[in-house]
Amino acid sequence: MDDLFSPNVMRWVLLAVLAAPLAFAAVLAVGGGNARVARRLAGLLAALHLGLTACVVTPAAVMIAEYGGMNDGQAYKHFRPVFVPGDTGDGQEHRTAWSLFFVGKPNPAPNAPQPAVQFYIGLDGINVWLVALTSLMTYIAVAVSWGFAQERAGAYYAWLFVLQSAVTGAFLSFDVILFYVFFELTLIPAFFLIGGWGVGGGKRDAARKFFLYTLFGSLLSLVGLVGIVLTNPTPPGGWMNKTRGQALKQGRGTISFNVSDLMRSAARWSDEHDSAVAEASFKAEQTPKDTGRREQAEKELADATAARTGYKTTQFWLFFLLVAGFVVKVPLVPFHTWLPAAYAEAPPAVTLLLSALLAKLGTLGLLRIVIPLCPHMAAEYGLAVFGTLGAVGVVYAAFCAYAQKDVKMMAAYSSVSHLGLLALGLFALNPEGLTGAVLHMVNHGLTAGGLFAVVAILYDRYRTTDMTHLGGLMARHPALAFFTVVICLAGVGLPGLNNFVSEMMLIGALFTPWNTAAMGYGLAVAAAAGIFLSAWYTFTMLRSVFFGPVRTPALVDGTAAPADLTGREVIVFGLIATLCLALGLYPQPVLAVMKGDVAVVAYTLQSARESVNRELAEAENRVSGTTPTQQPISMNPTLIPAGAGRGGPGGPPAGGPGGPPRPPQQPPR
Amino acid sequence: MPDLSTPIGLSLIVVALPLVGCLLAALCHVGRAVKLAHLPVIVSFASAAAIACYVLYAVSGQSGDLIQTASLGTWFSSGRLSVPLAFQLDPLSAVMLAMVTFIATFIAIFSASYMHGEAGYARYFAFIALFVFAMCLLVTANNFFVLVAGWEGVGLCSYLLVGYYYAKPSAAAAARKAFLVTRLGDVGLILGIFLLWKAGGYQTNIDAVIRHIAEHPPGDGYMTAACLLLFCGAVGKSAQLPLYVWLPDAMEGPTPVSALIHAATMVTAGVYLLARTAPLFVMSPTAQVVVTIIGGATAVLAAFIALAQYDLKRVLAYSTVSQLGFMFMALGCGAAISPTIAVTAALFHLLTHAFFKALLFLGSGSVMHAMGNVIDMRKFGGLRKLMPTTHWTFLIGSLALAGFPLLSGFWSKDRILHALSEAGYSRSEFHYLYQAVFYTACLTALLTAFYTFRAYFLTFWGEERVPPEAHGHAHESPRTMTIPLVVLAVGAVFVGIIADPLTHWFDHLLERAPVLHQANEAFTKTTNLKVGEHHFDWGVAGLSTLIAVAGIGAAAAVYRRGGPERVPGPLRGIFALSANKAYVDEIYGATVVLPAETAATGGRQLDGFLDALARLVSFVPRFAAAVLRPLQNGLVQFYALGMVLGLAVFITVVVFRSVR
Repeated sequence: MDDLFSPNVMRWVLLAVLAAPLAFAAVLAVGGGNARVARRLAGLLAALHLGLTACVVTPAAVMIAEYGGMNDGQAYKHFRPVFVPGDTGDGQEHRTAWSLFFVGKPNPAPNAPQPAVQFYIGLDGINVWLVALTSLMTYIAVAVSWGFAQERAGAYYAWLFVLQSAVTGAFLSFDVILFYVFFELTLIPAFFLIGGWGVGGGKRDAARKFFLYTLFGSLLSLVGLVGIVLTNPTPPGGWMNKTRGQALKQGRGTISFNVSDLMRSAARWSDEHDSAVAEASFKAEQTPKDTGRREQAEKELADATAARTGYKTTQFWLFFLLVAGFVVKVPLVPFHTWLPAAYAEAPPAVTLLLSALLAKLGTLGLLRIVIPLCPHMAAEYGLAVFGTLGAVGVVYAAFCAYAQKDVKMMAAYSSVSHLGLLALGLFALNPEGLTGAVLHMVNHGLTAGGLFAVVAILYDRYRTTDMTHLGGLMARHPALAFFTVVICLAGVGLPGLNNFVSEMMLIGALFTPWNTAAMGYGLAVAAAAGIFLSAWYTFTMLRSVFFGPVRTPALVDGTAAPADLTGREVIVFGLIATLCLALGLYPQPVLAVMKGDVAVVAYTLQSARESVNRELAEAENRVSGTTPTQQPISMNPTLIPAGAGRGGPGGPPAGGPGGPPRPPQQPPR
Repeated sequence: MPDLSTPIGLSLIVVALPLVGCLLAALCHVGRAVKLAHLPVIVSFASAAAIACYVLYAVSGQSGDLIQTASLGTWFSSGRLSVPLAFQLDPLSAVMLAMVTFIATFIAIFSASYMHGEAGYARYFAFIALFVFAMCLLVTANNFFVLVAGWEGVGLCSYLLVGYYYAKPSAAAAARKAFLVTRLGDVGLILGIFLLWKAGGYQTNIDAVIRHIAEHPPGDGYMTAACLLLFCGAVGKSAQLPLYVWLPDAMEGPTPVSALIHAATMVTAGVYLLARTAPLFVMSPTAQVVVTIIGGATAVLAAFIALAQYDLKRVLAYSTVSQLGFMFMALGCGAAISPTIAVTAALFHLLTHAFFKALLFLGSGSVMHAMGNVIDMRKFGGLRKLMPTTHWTFLIGSLALAGFPLLSGFWSKDRILHALSEAGYSRSEFHYLYQAVFYTACLTALLTAFYTFRAYFLTFWGEERVPPEAHGHAHESPRTMTIPLVVLAVGAVFVGIIADPLTHWFDHLLERAPVLHQANEAFTKTTNLKVGEHHFDWGVAGLSTLIAVAGIGAAAAVYRRGGPERVPGPLRGIFALSANKAYVDEIYGATVVLPAETAATGGRQLDGFLDALARLVSFVPRFAAAVLRPLQNGLVQFYALGMVLGLAVFITVVVFRSVR
């Protein structure tokens, strides 16, 4: 059995998880002419895929929980995915040798960074649950489409599977260009699904708007990505080189498209500039005044400062370019206006996937690409700009949700509101917020997906989801009402159900010294207001649709009244409800898996904060008060490499080892 | 896992038993054994009550450290936010556990008859059991997040049970209102908890937070903010101004639910929370006096509204709001006199109130059951012959509520008045405010006696009248309903006198609660005063007796003969104001609900505007095309002209550049 679940086997299974939906799509496109055949086949294949995913996610989770993010008591400074197809070193290197195309001369050294776009996929603590969620949600989307897809059913399911494959690919990618390709690839199936099988009159317009708006954002991101790649090549001496301030003199290194390399390079180049300035300033101070050498030293200092300012200014603009595509995809208010039309016009099952999965592409992109690749800019401007947008979104979208007359639109805006909270906590950039954000991606996927599954059932039964036409459904559909209430309660963050845990982390993250010093408590108040506002619109919807006297539209063809949930649907909702409950009562195993990789990001951010404002960053890293029994925060103190001079609690306030003290921070102009 | 034979282990069993009952009742619902659903629930409640009483006995017999904790592992943890599933047992928890399970047992027995034949019988019992589980969780929680779990859990059960008759629009609306209004308070609670988390060294354990803050006080403003935010949660859950409006509407639920949740237990959660965090409140005299003032204002307003209600249950609901106000008045005296006196007074009233208010609600349920679900006092009257047991027990409850001497309500209300009068003469900078609240409390006590006996006389005295809805079957309720009434009536008579003036058991027990020690320490530290002790004050007792007798006498004078309302001319306006609930719902509708809904509609329109802006961007290419399209007009001459002109410009530029 051990052999069966060994990384060598699992990396092929992982590849199959990514590729299988494409094969399913081909099968369905060819053989799915008949709607009955197509839906059965699709259901079977989706269930098969769910099994396959479980086979790879379970051992991955176990493995990541054991090794993830930590090495001999040190936090890694970069992502280390497991089950990487094409791994160079027997599963130990966590890198791939599968280069797609080179943009420079290949590096002959073994395991060296290659100047190439690579087919670099793998699982780590951040994406492992999202991959599982993707497979689950596709199965649910297929199951709730049962009565929906009558025309061209084969093509409909085929596009669903293509969408699944693209989303999975984006979740799995550790190469920025590969990520971008999958990210954009999702647009094509989504475009055809909305435009082809949409439920409203404006479906084509909605599909086009969705396509163009998100494409516009992500093209800006592409520019940002290229800029990041070009300005952050691998330092010539590698990242492990202990001598700081030397790489700048050694010229540029090879470029790399791999996230793990890029995040180390980005951290290193910023460090290099800081060290160069510090060294020059130290030298200038030491040189006797009014001599030619002093003048020379001061000129060097001015040059180093200018170089650093130039670097930071570039990163500043690249950060905002890079963010653009993701904030549109999430979407953050006010870049959400493609969403109402797309969600309203899309088939219910597609809306389910849009909100449960595609929105996570945006948040994962922020977490996987934007924050690690621009840690300094994220630490300085993330919360102030995008945290604020998130906070505004929490409140604004909640008000919009309340004003909707359609369950589907209410769910759509509720999704925007929850994702605002997610972004808000994410940009708190501490372990609580990052963990909360990763967990909330899964939780929101489940609850938003569940709510849209309810919408799909309502649409299936009544061909409308308008609240003014529906009422008192509890009397007619007790099982549906039960599951809807459970999902809604999970959505409003009731303790014992999943969202509560992640919401508490996201809100708590805003109370740390760094964040309150930067933004006060206003963001926390907005986040907490979301607790009430989500209950406000959700319970209003529940009252009008499920309670009170029965009120339904005239039956379409005068046949029997619509039935309660079928056995298949009970399984679907039972699955969602069980997962909501399990993740609410005992989330710790899931949190344990993401802990290591969250620590990686948190570590990067803590370093960035220290270079922005050392004093405050140390306060952020320190548990307040002096009780010695308390655990330090982001990671165990022993995990913080002392060589890098990051003081843990009570650690030495050192600069580089033996180097001069760091200069105070200077924001980019 | 703790040893299950220790008091803390037993209290965990007490917490778990209702959950088991809930699951079994739910199985009955699914398994088509609906009629048996009450059995597992009653059995689990009864055994939980027996164990809880033993735990209380064991705790009160113990010496030394009276706090025991147990942890069942980690609930969730990330970074500094580490939340164990931790429980504790101290005198406070023990009293609450015993009270909750004891009263719940008799209410469940009462419900088995009362709810007989209702659709959703099993659903009802499953929810009740879930509620008791959540309430037990709340009072045994050792950290803020487990407490919030219980807190929200009871809120959920309240929502589900108020909306039990879900097809009735008013019930559905009341359920939503109950959940939302309390949730509004919970926003404050969560913020307060996180402020304390931060100030308390990033700990979630309540005890540890208190200790950490005592050593590292974060500053007055911070403490006041944190305490007032916690108090927001209490205001919502315990139905105080300005968030009390959900409680009267919650009477849409079945009457036993009102007795258990909206009188005896859940609504006291706010009082419990403030008692549990008393050491923090002591550090902020401002927050304390706000608590007292809110309590006083709520008490008098609710008592005023209760004067003219015709719905028997609503009278009792407003009375609950008012009595909770009394408890908060007492709690707020902590920083002025002594936290022990303040908290003990509040909790003592909580305990006695649970008995007599549950009794009154069940009594009204018994009346409602006999009257064919009619609860409007204008439609029935003179029931004392028809329903003798209900009448006598209701009378006992009314006397206790009115504060008639020797009944339990008298003793506990006396403690509160005494605490207020002491605070009024204390050296606190707010002593004049406490004085004002003392007079308010006296006025409220008078109103309480009056409206209670108005309801009593209107229901049971005068000519016997029965509404047609009773279908001629109006009779005394069956044994299974009257026995709980009798048990609770015994409690309403004796709990007060036994627990306090005769044995001082309650004082001695709570005095040893570690949380009150901490509060006392904080008190001496902030005020440099010695912690006072409670002593019986004949003056206050005499005054409160006088008030009770006056109120009852006035009610007897006006309503002795039952029958229709008789309001003297000059008082008509005031009566109408009271009957219309002081128009608070209307005021809220105009000042809160309507603006919020307008904002929502405005948001939707703004969203359309944002969309239009985005579309405007998409017009840029089209606009550019419109500008450029004439150039592509297909006329060869035009293109030739363009080429010539272009060439000319190009050559000119080249020539000028080379010349220069």
